[in-house]
Amino acid sequence: MTAQPQLTVEEKRARLSGEHPATPPPDAGQPGPPLLHRVSVAVLLAALLGAGLLHWILVRSFKGATEERASRAAMIVARAAADVATAHGGEGEPLAAAMTAWQKEHKTVRAVRVANIDNRTIEASSFPEDLKEGEVPRRMQRPEKPLYDLGQELRANIEANVSEGNKREAEVSVERKPGGTLLIAAPIEKEGAVAGFAQVLSAPEIVSVSPPSPLFALAFALGPFVVIFALSFVWRGSNLLLVAIAALLLLVALFAYRQWAVKSLVDGAQEAEQRFAERVQREAEIVARVAPGAEANAKTWDADIHRTPLKVDPVQAVEGQKDAIAGAAYGISVLSLALLLFIGLGAAHRTGRALAQHRQAYSYIAPALLGMLFLVFFPFIYGFTLSFTGQTIYNVNQPLPEIWTGLQNYKEILGDFTVIKQTAGGGRAANYENFYYTLFFTIAWTVVNVAIGVTLGLLLALILNTKGLRGKTAYRVLLILPWAMPNFITALIWKGMFHRQFGVINHVLAIFGGTPVSWFEHPLTSFAAVVATNGWLSFPFMMVVSLGALQSISADLYEAARVDGASRWQQFTSITLPSLKPALIPAIILSVVWTFNMFNIIYLVSAGEPAHSTEILITQAYKLAFEQYRYGYASAYSVIIFGILLIYGVFQNRMTRATESIA
Amino acid sequence: MQNAKCKMQNGKRGDAGLPFSILHFAFCILHSAFHLSLPLLPERNPMKKLLLTLALTLFPVMAFAQTEIVVWHAYRGGEKTAFEKVVAQYNAGQKAIKVSSLAVPYDAFADKITAAVPRGKGPDIFIYAQDRLGGWVTAGNTIEPIDFYLDKKLTDRFIPSTLQAMTYRKTIYGLPLNYKVMTMIYNKALVKTPPTTTAELVKVAKANTNEASGRFGLVYWYSNWYYHAPLFNGFGGGVFDAAGKPIANNPGNVKSVELLMKWATKDKILPAEPSTALITSLFNEGKAAIVFSGPWFLEEVSPKIQYGLALLPTIDEAGKKPMRPWMTVEGVYIAAPSKKKDQAFEFAKYLTDTGATKILALEGSQSPANKAVYNDPQVAANGVLKAFRAQVDRAVPMPNVPEMTLMWGPVTTAMNAIVQKASTPKAALDKAQADMVAQIKKLKK
Repeated sequence: MTAQPQLTVEEKRARLSGEHPATPPPDAGQPGPPLLHRVSVAVLLAALLGAGLLHWILVRSFKGATEERASRAAMIVARAAADVATAHGGEGEPLAAAMTAWQKEHKTVRAVRVANIDNRTIEASSFPEDLKEGEVPRRMQRPEKPLYDLGQELRANIEANVSEGNKREAEVSVERKPGGTLLIAAPIEKEGAVAGFAQVLSAPEIVSVSPPSPLFALAFALGPFVVIFALSFVWRGSNLLLVAIAALLLLVALFAYRQWAVKSLVDGAQEAEQRFAERVQREAEIVARVAPGAEANAKTWDADIHRTPLKVDPVQAVEGQKDAIAGAAYGISVLSLALLLFIGLGAAHRTGRALAQHRQAYSYIAPALLGMLFLVFFPFIYGFTLSFTGQTIYNVNQPLPEIWTGLQNYKEILGDFTVIKQTAGGGRAANYENFYYTLFFTIAWTVVNVAIGVTLGLLLALILNTKGLRGKTAYRVLLILPWAMPNFITALIWKGMFHRQFGVINHVLAIFGGTPVSWFEHPLTSFAAVVATNGWLSFPFMMVVSLGALQSISADLYEAARVDGASRWQQFTSITLPSLKPALIPAIILSVVWTFNMFNIIYLVSAGEPAHSTEILITQAYKLAFEQYRYGYASAYSVIIFGILLIYGVFQNRMTRATESIA
Repeated sequence: MQNAKCKMQNGKRGDAGLPFSILHFAFCILHSAFHLSLPLLPERNPMKKLLLTLALTLFPVMAFAQTEIVVWHAYRGGEKTAFEKVVAQYNAGQKAIKVSSLAVPYDAFADKITAAVPRGKGPDIFIYAQDRLGGWVTAGNTIEPIDFYLDKKLTDRFIPSTLQAMTYRKTIYGLPLNYKVMTMIYNKALVKTPPTTTAELVKVAKANTNEASGRFGLVYWYSNWYYHAPLFNGFGGGVFDAAGKPIANNPGNVKSVELLMKWATKDKILPAEPSTALITSLFNEGKAAIVFSGPWFLEEVSPKIQYGLALLPTIDEAGKKPMRPWMTVEGVYIAAPSKKKDQAFEFAKYLTDTGATKILALEGSQSPANKAVYNDPQVAANGVLKAFRAQVDRAVPMPNVPEMTLMWGPVTTAMNAIVQKASTPKAALDKAQADMVAQIKKLKK
């Protein structure tokens, strides 16, 4: 945005392009009703959007908090059932009687069953589907395989948690059933091992605190509109200032609504939490009657799926939802602000006009645009999103918001400056896995390769351009061959040539009395090997480009130079090089990008050996994703690579423009 | 068939959910349209062909009485032919279940399973090695536990260690079908009696080594951790302990690498920088006396070479304990979201029974995990199968913990550093251990 008033720019643009020579643009911005109307429409739409979205998130948070409390309540009931069953030894007749008595005390419990996985039996059950198969207690039938598997899973999870010393796996199974009921299975432990589980199907019992009415959101949204609307009748200042006032009002309204929303959520939680404590107390009393002694565990019942007791601080309980609202508020504010500016500054109007005017052109590019959207932008945005998560092979099935880590990955990559590390022996060594080392190596790799490609290519082109050279075509074909072969085949051939015992390069060295070199044992020799391979691959392109450009230089120039007494070298520096520049610079720019991401050569020839010292950024990103399975981290790495190339791209655009103006 | 193809297209990392589904849906529509329009193009009687196509498309709907089981496998060549023969035989033998098999390229197999099965888009049964088992169980909704189906009669069918490979956290997840294991392969022209101890091995190898003419007594991919397994397992080493914690730098591993380095630097019986291509060409040129490798290597051996198979030698340096290679076991897994698990299990039982495994062994050259099949006279007469059967008794199932996929990077780096003498065995393995611990911690936070 420029500091100049909007109208002058617009006028200038219209005049320059000569689009509307006769009539000034309709939104040229004289203070008057239509323009001001636009700002009030903009603020109304933006505020409605912002407040609407915030309200939607608030309702969801209320629902989320209610659901969370409902499952906590169901969890308490299921844990209590498991403790009743444990108190009765996990099997036998008295157990069945106790479970029946326990269920009678609960209105919300639809059915309960106790399964024993050691004996593969159902010990007690009030599930209709179990009773249909036959009287309990009895052995499990084939359709009841899921029960057995569930028991095994709980056992395996608990054992894994014990052996790992952290609680990573779920120790209680929670399933949501249609109709809002919850099916929860809690383990029954006997002598330190899981013997079975008690499973309870219950309806949600904690009455939800209803979320605030959408009218509040509407009220917050109408505030800024009313002010701007009223102001529009008396406003005589600049349009831009009015938009700024509207933006300020919008942000204030959204911020106020956010504060109010968080407060109402916390208030609701406080109320619900009070009822909750009473519920646990009541459950303990029931258990004390059915299985005396088991109520001693009552304090641990209110727990998560890892059986870690929860803190029952109401503010803590809605912390997640609070964060969600606070976080979303920023995003929503930006979104509504963008909408306000888009409409308020007239961009929407102009876009609409352009779309209508060039209808045909836009319909022509629409298919390509759609294709780009799905094939390029969507995967790109997905990868970009992934870079803000901690996705790894262990949690690929979790939704992204649950593994959201924000800028953590970027911090880890860019914030690690330990390029030199202390070795165990007290010495110092380069840390080859550090990002900055790899970046340095990638740049060195790119510069060296492009330099070799250009020098060699130009040299060969100059030789081939010699007048009266015989067999020129044959040489040209031969020299283009490396380029014609698929580069991974070339890479594998070169890798074979660098073999210590059988490679042809060491054989040649031996002929001249050298000692065989282990090429991939030292970073420098390894670098030499990959550079040699890539040099072989990259000179033909440069040669072809230079040869074409050389042939288009007029002979008159050289003739004139000779007449003036210029030497060969002077002719080269003053005529050949400047004439080649327009052709060579774009070729160099392209080859920099290719070399920067030359995955095949590094991956196949050196494979990063020794110890990742010859890794370039792109091979490192590949290894992070498909050898270490840190998808989120690898995505962040790729985004950084993209960022580097983007900066380079902007820079090269300037360069090309510069050369164009020279040529 | 069209449907199956569409299912397969939904591969790779489809975590994005909806947008991918839209793409996939659009693809399937296009795909079906293409298939329906194909017969219209070149045929003389397009109407008839169209009707036929429609009838074929509707066929599965009409034949509802038969349950269709889809099996994914990664077999090629002879293995594929043998497997398809077993499937055809099963389909002909009964009417209730129709099994259709689909060969999926090996490179893409694991990723396809990871992406498709949990979303209910995969097969009913799939066949794969056990090293991904733990990962799939952890990811969830991929492999069905089959403990409930098993009884003693069924479990006694298998070589015990192969069943152990199918067990993760004390639960059995698949029926073992085949195993693959390394053994000693020698050139009969160069080695008259195969060595049975490492002392003999070094002696025989030294006699067959001449670095100047490029001949080596012992050729194998020793810098690769998998090929190094017979040594470290022989010394009592390993990568994960019973609880699944990494133990890359345990004393057994260090000693095994030290023995390897003695072979490479003192005895000089090993070529430098080994790779599969190098090993194959040396053996086929008659320049390698002994190779440690598995059944996959035998396919590459030139018909001019007379080779023999023998047990991997015992290790004198480890108190005469035998070398114990890693064994990979191909399991028949039932997909967790499958709606036809009982029928799928029936087929899995059939597939691992003596009759079917005999075909797989004789025609597909695979080593069945079924014990009884080795009593069959035809199988017993097959020297190669017999040699691998003998070796498997000394083999250790490759770990199936999810962390297995992380192991390769650090140990490969360590082995390369060791054989290039850039680091001592102890220091390199210490670093591998530290790297594995750090990587696992990062994954599990």
